[in-house]
Amino acid sequence: MAGIKIKYTKTERAKQKKILKVSQRMLPLFEAMEKSLMSTINTIAERIDDIRQTIEKNREASKSWLAVMGDSWGSLAEFISVNEVITKPVDVAGVRVQQFERVDFKIVEPSANTPLWVDDAIELVAEQLQLEAEIKCLQDQIELLEEELLDVRARVKLFENRRIPNAKIAIRKIGQKLQDDERLTIATAKVVNQAKLEEAMA
Amino acid sequence: MSNMVYLLCSLPSLNFAQVPPISQDEFYHDAEKQLSSKHFSMLERVDLRQMDSDEHGKLKDFAQLYQDLLGDMTELRTAKTEKRPVRLAHLPKSLADGNPLEREKQIMRWQWDRLDDLEAGNTFSLVNVLVYKLRLQILDRLQSMEPERGSQVFESVINDAKTKG
Repeated sequence: MAGIKIKYTKTERAKQKKILKVSQRMLPLFEAMEKSLMSTINTIAERIDDIRQTIEKNREASKSWLAVMGDSWGSLAEFISVNEVITKPVDVAGVRVQQFERVDFKIVEPSANTPLWVDDAIELVAEQLQLEAEIKCLQDQIELLEEELLDVRARVKLFENRRIPNAKIAIRKIGQKLQDDERLTIATAKVVNQAKLEEAMA
Repeated sequence: MSNMVYLLCSLPSLNFAQVPPISQDEFYHDAEKQLSSKHFSMLERVDLRQMDSDEHGKLKDFAQLYQDLLGDMTELRTAKTEKRPVRLAHLPKSLADGNPLEREKQIMRWQWDRLDDLEAGNTFSLVNVLVYKLRLQILDRLQSMEPERGSQVFESVINDAKTKG
């Protein structure tokens, strides 16, 4: 409130009352938005943890045969690569983010004399890359939601610490000043009347 | 003939799943010195990875071994796609159950045993030299299937794809 000049008028008081009313109505909305964003971020973080567990599970399951990928007769990299990660825009907690759809792979079909393990390795790599791509998408979502959360938190603080208290103080001060002015006017009028009365008596 | 005897006697013996006691380059180097150009050309043609089905003479049996394997590999792939039981003509039936590494090892073991059959009745002949090359190929391949190397290949494929994607 310090440094803010207040106009001690009824119009200003009405304006401050309006600001207070709007701010008190907006604050719960922003608080709800903050809660919703936090809960969404937590849900996404849990989903990332789940996917990481699946990746680890797949890795563990394939550990017993991963050695076959060292085969000097087959080069796995020639058979699979990523063309594009397909996403679609969606609104999550009021924020526009990209939702993971699928990964478009470029897969070269193994020929008849390609070692059989290549087929299994392609499946495993595709599965792991899908999961990794989904994690990347979810991390990007969290980044955007966290930006929004910071913005919403700043607004909540603005309403809680500045707008509402300032408006309340302004209303109180204007009220006091207007009351003081009214009393002064009445007192002055009384003095004037008294003076007029004394003049008439004399 | 004496050259063939000399060559085969000078080569270290091979056992399945052992570390190759001689490299393919060393083997080729020795073989080239002892074999005629015609025999050496046949040695170059015989390969477990690729054999022409039209081969005849001494190479016919080797081509047949390759074709038998190819037929069963195609059957394994088709059965998986069509989600039906596998009907293998040559490879062991247990092949369909193992993990990819066990499967490849079983295939190599089968190839090794078939090479025994091909070699039967031959001593100090070109067939023995051809079989030796194929056995060396099997051992080299088995040797390359090493856990750390496999993990590195897997990680590099994943990381490369992630970077490019």
